[in-house]
Amino acid sequence: MSIATGSKRSLTGQCILLLIILAFCVFPFYWMVTTSLKTQVVALESPPVWIFEATLDNYREALFDDGVLRTLGNSIIVAVCTTVLAVVLGLPAAYALARFEFRGKKDLWFWFITNRMVSPIVLALPFFLIVRNFGMLDQHITLILIYLTFNLPIVIWICTDQFRAIPKDLDEAATLEGASQFRIFAQICLPLAMPGVAVSSIFSFIFSWNELMFALILTRTNAKTAPAMAVSFMEGYNLPFGKIMATSTLIVIPVLIFALIASKQLVRGLTMGAVK
Amino acid sequence: MFVGPAVISLAVIGIAPLIYAAYTSFHFFNLTKLKHVEFIGLQNYAFVLTDGVFWQAIGRTFTVLGMALPVQVALGLVIALVLHQPGLTLLKTLARLGLVLPMATTYAVVGLLGQVMFNQKFGVVNQLIGFLGVDPVNWIGNSFNAFAMVIFWDVWQWTPFVALILLAGLTTVPGEIEEAAKLETKSWLTVLRYVQLPFLVPGLVAILILRTADTLKLFDMVFTLTRGGPGSSTELISLMIQRVGFRAFDQGLASAQAIILLAITIVLSQLYIKFFYREV
Amino acid sequence: MKLKSLARSLALATALTFGSMSGGHAWSLEEAAKPYAGTTVDVVFLLRPGYEAIEAMLPEFEKQTGIKINIIKHPYENALGEQVRDFVAGGDLDAALIDLVWIGNFAENDWVVPIDKFTSNAELADPELDMDDFFPLVLNAFGGWNGKLYGLPLDNYSGLLFYNKCMLKEAGFDGPPKTWQELKDVYGPKLTGNGKFAYALQSKRNETQSADSFARVLWPFGGSFLDKDFKSNLLSPESQAGLKFRQELLPIMPEGIVAYDHAETVNGFAQGDIAMITEWSAFYSSVKDSKTSKVADCVGIAPEPSGPAGRKPALGGFSLAVASQADEKEQAAAYLFIQWATSKANAKEYLERGGVPARKSVYELPGIAEKFDFVPALVESWQDGVPEFRPRFAEWPEITEIVQEWGTKIMLGEVSTEEGAKELGTRMEAVLEKAGYYDGKKPLAQ
Repeated sequence: MSIATGSKRSLTGQCILLLIILAFCVFPFYWMVTTSLKTQVVALESPPVWIFEATLDNYREALFDDGVLRTLGNSIIVAVCTTVLAVVLGLPAAYALARFEFRGKKDLWFWFITNRMVSPIVLALPFFLIVRNFGMLDQHITLILIYLTFNLPIVIWICTDQFRAIPKDLDEAATLEGASQFRIFAQICLPLAMPGVAVSSIFSFIFSWNELMFALILTRTNAKTAPAMAVSFMEGYNLPFGKIMATSTLIVIPVLIFALIASKQLVRGLTMGAVK
Repeated sequence: MFVGPAVISLAVIGIAPLIYAAYTSFHFFNLTKLKHVEFIGLQNYAFVLTDGVFWQAIGRTFTVLGMALPVQVALGLVIALVLHQPGLTLLKTLARLGLVLPMATTYAVVGLLGQVMFNQKFGVVNQLIGFLGVDPVNWIGNSFNAFAMVIFWDVWQWTPFVALILLAGLTTVPGEIEEAAKLETKSWLTVLRYVQLPFLVPGLVAILILRTADTLKLFDMVFTLTRGGPGSSTELISLMIQRVGFRAFDQGLASAQAIILLAITIVLSQLYIKFFYREV
Repeated sequence: MKLKSLARSLALATALTFGSMSGGHAWSLEEAAKPYAGTTVDVVFLLRPGYEAIEAMLPEFEKQTGIKINIIKHPYENALGEQVRDFVAGGDLDAALIDLVWIGNFAENDWVVPIDKFTSNAELADPELDMDDFFPLVLNAFGGWNGKLYGLPLDNYSGLLFYNKCMLKEAGFDGPPKTWQELKDVYGPKLTGNGKFAYALQSKRNETQSADSFARVLWPFGGSFLDKDFKSNLLSPESQAGLKFRQELLPIMPEGIVAYDHAETVNGFAQGDIAMITEWSAFYSSVKDSKTSKVADCVGIAPEPSGPAGRKPALGGFSLAVASQADEKEQAAAYLFIQWATSKANAKEYLERGGVPARKSVYELPGIAEKFDFVPALVESWQDGVPEFRPRFAEWPEITEIVQEWGTKIMLGEVSTEEGAKELGTRMEAVLEKAGYYDGKKPLAQ
């Protein structure tokens, strides 16, 4: 009963807290979008204005005059390809880690996870030099490959847990019926592991889409991705804030929508990887 | 057979470059002086290990972690506890959706956004704190403030991550135990300490590991926000290596720095796994 | 019929006369470009007014020649890295955009071709090229290295003092300060206060810190980066006087000046918050445009103030050179583009569209000095200057990083001017030692 008397007050408190949380999370996006609709003069108004005449000029200029559209296309190509590749390579490995005992398994697991921890700059330097020797700078495939270094561990990490959750009885029953190891993997376990595949694909896509440092170092024009493009507006001579925010909005909106649609799984995915 | 393709591709993309980096680190290897590449033994390492600037950058990186992580855990815990309370379903669903947004945001965009919002003259942050009677703050031009700003954005982006992991931990507490405890005592703190905390430990460990890794890697957001400035007050380790390798073009020195950073990372992850993460 | 044949023979006669004059045939851009129609020239441009001007004029060139110019735009801060990464990888660039401090680097790596390969080729060289029409200082400093000329100056800067006439008048001054001392001691206190500042020296930790801030206080006080033996000269009394002077400027400048790049500085001036700035000539168009500037009618322009060692204005600018990684056709096409973009004939239009040409003749045209009131100060500062204002040798990219780091540390007060200069000198000398300047392997050229 004592809980009920205090509950009205605590409910209002909760309400306020929740609203603060929401505002804290959402406000920067609100500001990004509104700034992207301002002309340069309005954007530089001090103090900043909240009500103004909106214009889409920044978007038009960024997309068509400055080539942001093409870089968005590059971002999609790279993110999709690397995700597919990571899933194709990572799924069997995850299955093996979840199902079989073999020598060096612990080390292997540790190595995959360490890969997740290595700072990209450590790889970026030598990768640049190697790729330069092969004449592969500024090509999509280069980014697709290097992104595997962080996507593959994610896929393996998440999918290993997913495979572990599938009862071993199923495998054993299938083995008794004479199914090959590969058939068990492909026809029995894989369909059941689909949620894990979906979640890790989403992660992989988002991480690749958001990546900046490799894109900055390994591409110039042909394969330049959208984040690298957004950064290149930052010229010491003149900061076109409206245009920068318009490009930022274009970069962020797709991932946000993606993340929101999959939010339930995203949370599950995070916890799957992190909480045992 | 199943592991093969993944291992091979990670080895080719992940390990081969590291070997090459080790090779470069023993050379005088400047991109603009490729005619004069020369084996110089451990000179690069000697320079890095005795270079105060390098260790300052390492120190700054761990300072970011040391300052941001407690805030993230504290705020994250509050958020998780609020979301864990019954009632207000609609608002809570909304808040959960809201929490997803910062995590998914492109890091580079966070930095750009930070530049716009924290600008001294036309930034909205100074306007907002102005309503509270605070004088405009020079965020970007002052060493201390710039550092605080970097931490602010790290907290903004990753508190939701912490909150959601802790929330997941809270949901693993068996309902009956929690109910029983709540009947015993009115203090939520007691409930937290003795009932819920044990269930949060695995999550907290994961947070510690992941946040350490991400802070050592932190580049994009700081690069677009301050580029390491003013001066070198926000120059974290990855920014420094990038600068030496691609602005001063000294790939040999930068490789030595990178290898040392790698060694630190490996030692740290070994330690973490040894102490916290035995049951793999 | 009759008329037509008359016209034809007349045309033939003229062609013959002209042909004999120019030694074989009459040169025209269309003719010279004929073998290269359809060739694409890849070149890096910056996001600055001087490049927008060329870009606007480009359709005419492409129409005349059939050569396609593919512009890859980068902010200045990325331009060196992008080009270095292209050249070391044998990339696509057919022309190099060279800041004067990069010339040693590009030349020593043989990334660019000496220009005489083309100027001595009668098929390509425009008889009107007139190299003597370039300001010699600009031509040699921006495009030349070790006695060889590589590039032709395209986007040219000199440091100028922009001042707000209205603010100065209000404070009781009839004109701008003549010396740095005057700027700080006389103008400083009167113009600072109530959220306004007398002066701003852009000092962000990038090339701005080295070029606009550090070097700018070094030279007028008699200091320099290196002495004649290529050892650090930063601890000399003159260099120290300059660096100390910069610290003394801090009270009359906005807080956080170490985060000010050109954009912030020019913006502060254009908003009427800062009375005086020392900026590149290229900003003229933006502070004079009432769309971007609140003080368009108050802008006054003078040469930079002088110090005890005289007037040593900042010198900076870009030349375009032909890349050696391009094939013969692309090289020829790239040369034609460079020659056209920097030509005497186009200088006026370039100027009117917001560029700053390095052609003497254009500034002598009637009405130009009146219409563009930065011209007298600019021409004066190009008469003589310090080409090694920042050393132009191949080691500059490494050294500028050191200057940027320790220069800002000094400004922030993290180290004293002596400590900072000492550390900077040690690190600078280490780079030069490695490069072989001290054991005679490399000539002492900067």
